[in-house]
Amino acid sequence: MSDVVIETRNLSKVYRDFWGRQKVRALKALDLEVRRGEIFGLLGPNGSGKTTTMKLLLGLLFPTSGEALVLGKPATDVTKNERIGYLPEESYLYRFLNAEETLDFYGRLFDMPAHRRRRRAAELIDLVGLSGAKRRQLREYSKGMTRRLGLAQTLINDPELVMLDEPTSGLDPIGTREMKDLILDLKAQGKTVLLSSHQLADVEDVCDRIAILHLGELKELGRVDSLLKVQDELAIRCTGLNEAARQEISDVIRRHNGTLLAMESPTMTLEELFLKIVAESEAHPGRRVVGSHGS
Amino acid sequence: MVLETEPIPFWPWLTGTAHEWWQVLLGLALLGLGLGLVVRAVRYGPLDAVRTVSRGVWAAIVDLARISPRRVLALAWLARREALHRWVLMAFVLFSLLLLFGAWFLDELSNDPSRLYLAFVLEMSRGLLLLLALLLSVASIPADLAQRTIYTVVTKPVRASELVLGRLLGFWMVGTAMLVMFGIVGYVVVMRGLTHAHEILPQHVSNLSESSGDAGLTGRTETTRRHHHTFTFDGQGRGRTEPTQGHWHAVQVEGSGSSAKYTVGSPQGWLQARVPIWGKLHFKDRSGANAEKGVSVGEEWAYRSYIEGGTLATAIWRFDGLRAAEFPQGLPLELTIRVFRTYKGDIVSAVQGGLRLRNPETGVTSAERTFPAHEFTTDSLLIPTKLFDADGQPLELFRDLVTPSGAVEIELQCITPSQYFGMAQPDLYVRASDRSFTLNFVKCYLGVWLQMLVLTAVGVLFSTFLNLPVALMATIGTLLGGYRLDYIRELAAGRMVGGGPIEQIVRLFTGMNMTTKFEEGTQRTVMTMADDALRWLFQRLTHVLPDFGALSDTSFVADGFDIPAVRMLEHSVATLAFVVPVFVASYLLFRTREVAR
Ligand SMILES: Nc1ncnc2c1ncn2[C@@H]1O[C@H](COP(=O)(O)OP(=O)(O)O)[C@@H](O)[C@H]1O
Ligand SMILES: [Mg+2]
Repeated sequence: MSDVVIETRNLSKVYRDFWGRQKVRALKALDLEVRRGEIFGLLGPNGSGKTTTMKLLLGLLFPTSGEALVLGKPATDVTKNERIGYLPEESYLYRFLNAEETLDFYGRLFDMPAHRRRRRAAELIDLVGLSGAKRRQLREYSKGMTRRLGLAQTLINDPELVMLDEPTSGLDPIGTREMKDLILDLKAQGKTVLLSSHQLADVEDVCDRIAILHLGELKELGRVDSLLKVQDELAIRCTGLNEAARQEISDVIRRHNGTLLAMESPTMTLEELFLKIVAESEAHPGRRVVGSHGS
Repeated sequence: MVLETEPIPFWPWLTGTAHEWWQVLLGLALLGLGLGLVVRAVRYGPLDAVRTVSRGVWAAIVDLARISPRRVLALAWLARREALHRWVLMAFVLFSLLLLFGAWFLDELSNDPSRLYLAFVLEMSRGLLLLLALLLSVASIPADLAQRTIYTVVTKPVRASELVLGRLLGFWMVGTAMLVMFGIVGYVVVMRGLTHAHEILPQHVSNLSESSGDAGLTGRTETTRRHHHTFTFDGQGRGRTEPTQGHWHAVQVEGSGSSAKYTVGSPQGWLQARVPIWGKLHFKDRSGANAEKGVSVGEEWAYRSYIEGGTLATAIWRFDGLRAAEFPQGLPLELTIRVFRTYKGDIVSAVQGGLRLRNPETGVTSAERTFPAHEFTTDSLLIPTKLFDADGQPLELFRDLVTPSGAVEIELQCITPSQYFGMAQPDLYVRASDRSFTLNFVKCYLGVWLQMLVLTAVGVLFSTFLNLPVALMATIGTLLGGYRLDYIRELAAGRMVGGGPIEQIVRLFTGMNMTTKFEEGTQRTVMTMADDALRWLFQRLTHVLPDFGALSDTSFVADGFDIPAVRMLEHSVATLAFVVPVFVASYLLFRTREVAR
C-alpha cells in the first residue's frame, strides 16, 4: 500500500453563480501530499479555502480543474468513504434522532451488522462522554455536546483517514485539550489525520506538518518544528535565581556579543492558567482559588 | 352515471404499451446522453466529454447494480422518521381524517346518498393523500441540503442510487401507512353514515285484502334521515319497501292488527360491486333502417342518443360470449333510461318501453316485453330461460335466442308515441355477478396507492435537481397535467375549436370569435408555427406525464361496479413502468449535483 494517503494535483475551485459567472476563486492550483500516519494541518484565516479543500477531497464539490486522489481513489468514488471519517465544520446531524439512533444510523450506512453497530456506538458514546444523554433528542443538545457526537460519528467506522474541519472551534480549553489528546491518540493508532484550523496555537503542538493557505493559495508547507523554530533566538526560562545571578547571566550574554531581549518572570499562557484553575478546583471542591496561584 | 370505458384485455394492452414505453425511454436516454455530451464538450472539449460521459454511464451501471439493502433500509428509516417528526404534516393528516367525517353532513335528500358518500370519501382521501405525498417527497432533499445534514450522509459509502431509493421507500412506507388510515376511517364513515333503520307505526299500516295474515299489508315507514319508504307484504311473512334514495329494506311483522310489531332490516341495494357484461350499441332509425346513432335532442350530453316512441326506431345492444352455465336462472339485465318528454302528458303514468331478444344468426325473436320506464333509477329485469315468440310458440333462451358462440341482440323501443328514450352503450348491461363491496373499496384504495407511488417518485425526481419552490411547482404541474391528460391530448392533436393555445390567447385579447378565420399574413404564420411547436411539446408531454385521471377507480366504486382485475393489473404494471425509469433519472440527476453548493 502506498505511503501517500491524499494527493492533489493542481486542484482548483471556482464558485460560480446560477448563470455560470465566476464568483469566488476559492482554491488556486493546490499541490499537496499527505502521508500515512501523520497529522497534517491546513492552516489559514477564515475564507482561505480550507473547507473547500476538504469538500473537494470528499467529493462534496467537483473541482474546476486539477484532481484529487484519496486513498488511491478519485475523490468522487464513494467506496473510498469506507475508510474515511469526516467531521464537518459544524456537526450536521439530524435533530430528531437521539445519540444512539444517530450512531446506529451511520453504522448502517457502513453496512455494519447490528451487533457490531451496538458495540461500536456504546464505545464511542462512552469515549465522547455522552453516556448520560444518549437517549435524548439532539435538538436538546448544547453545541459542545453536538460536537462530541459529531466526533463519535466520525469514528464510527474506525477510519484509516480522519478529516477534521476546525475540530477545536467552539470548544472550551478543556475540550480543546481533550480533542488534541484524541488526535494524538488517533496518530498513535497509526491513523492519518487531516485537520484544519484558523488558530495556530490550537494545533501547533499536534501537527507533524502543516500547510498555510491564504486566499486560496498555498503559502507555506513543512514540518511544524522547523517552521516554528526561530533559528537565531534562544529562550531561557528558570526559577530560584536571585538578583545577583540574573546580573551575572546578563553579563555573560553581553560578553558574547548577544543582545538581551527580555528577562522577566515568565507569564503563563491563558490556556495554562485556566487549566490550572480548573485542576485545582476539581482537587479542592468549593474552595475559592482566586489569588492563590501567585508565583 | 355509468362507466364509459371497458377494460382492454391484458396482452394487447401490454404489447401496445411496452412498445410506446421503449420508444419514449430510448428517446429520453438519447436526449440525456446528448445533452450531457454537449454541456461537457462546451466547457472542457469533446475528448473530455466522451471520456467523462462514458465513465459516467459505467459508474451508473455499477451504482444501480451494487445497491446495498441495509443502507437503503437505513435511509428509508431516516426518511420515515423525518416525516413523522414534521408535526405540521402530522397535524394535517389528523385534520384530513376528520374531514372525511364531513360526508355525514352532505345533503341527505340526494337521489343517491351512497354514491355521494362514496364519491366524497374516495375523492377526498385521494386528494389529501396525494397532497401529503407531494409535500413529503418534495421537501425532503432540499431540506437535507439546506441544513447540510446531507454532508454527513454522502461522506459515508452511500451511493446516490441508495440515497434516492431509500427516500422513495421511506415516503412510500409513510404514504402507505396514511393510506391505510384513510381507508379505515373512510370505510367507517361510509358504513356508519349509510346504516339506518326505520320505525313502522301501526296507524300507518293498512290491510287492503281484509284477509288474515300479511298478504295485502301495506303502509309506510316513519322518516329517518329525511326519507321514508312505502312497503308491501307478499303473504308469506316477507315484506319489502319500495326503493328510495337508492336502497330498500326488508320488513317483518309479528302479531296482527293493532298489536302487530314491525321490524325493518338494514338498507339493501347499495354498496354493491356488480360485475357487468357490456354490449355494443347501434340503432335503427324511425323507418327501421340501420343507423350509427339515434336522434339528438340537443340538451343532453352529446354521447346519449334518442329514439322516438311509436316508430320503428330501435336501440340494439349486441352481447357476445354469454354462456348458459353462467346464467342458469336467465339473463339478469340492468337498464337505465333517460326519458325525454315532448309533451307533459300524464306525468304520473310512466312512458312505456318494449324489449325483445333476437338471435343475430337465425333472426328468431322473442315476444315484446313491456315495462314502465323509470327515470333516474336503474331497473333490473330478469330474462327467463323459457320465453315465447310473437306467435306464442315457446322458446328456450340459450337454445333459440343465444347463438352457440354466446351472441344475442337486445332490442329496445319506446312504445308511447311522441316521447323519446335516451340511451348510451353503458345504459344496458348483463349483471353477470356480484362481488364483495368491501373488497372493491380496498381495490379502489389500492388504485390510490399506485397514484401515491407515482406522485412520490415525481416529487423526489424534481427535488433532486430543483430547489424547493421550483420542485413543488413542477410536481404540482405534473399532477394537474396528469389529471387533465385528456385535455393535453386534445391540445396536442389540435382538435380544439379556436386553434392552438397561442391562437386562443390572441383571440382572447383581440376579442375575436372562436370560429372566425384569421387573415393570411405573417402574423398568422408566426402564430401557427408557435402553436405547432407547442403542439409538438404537448405531444411529447402526453407520453411522459403519468395519467392520474385514468388511474382513478372512484367512479367504479361510487357507481357500484366491480373494479376489473385486469384493470388493476394494467395499472400496477404501468405504475412500475413509470416509477423505475423515474427512479433511474432521479439517481442520475442527483449524482451530477454538487452536494455542497
Ligand atoms: N458555496 C459557496 N459559494 C460561493 N462561495 C463560497 C462557497 N463556499 C465558500 N465560498 C467562498 O470560498 C472561499 C473559501 O471558503 P472556505 O473554503 O469555506 O474557507 P475556510 O474554510 O478556509 O474558512 C471564501 O471566500 C468563501 O466565501
Ligand atoms: Mg472553513
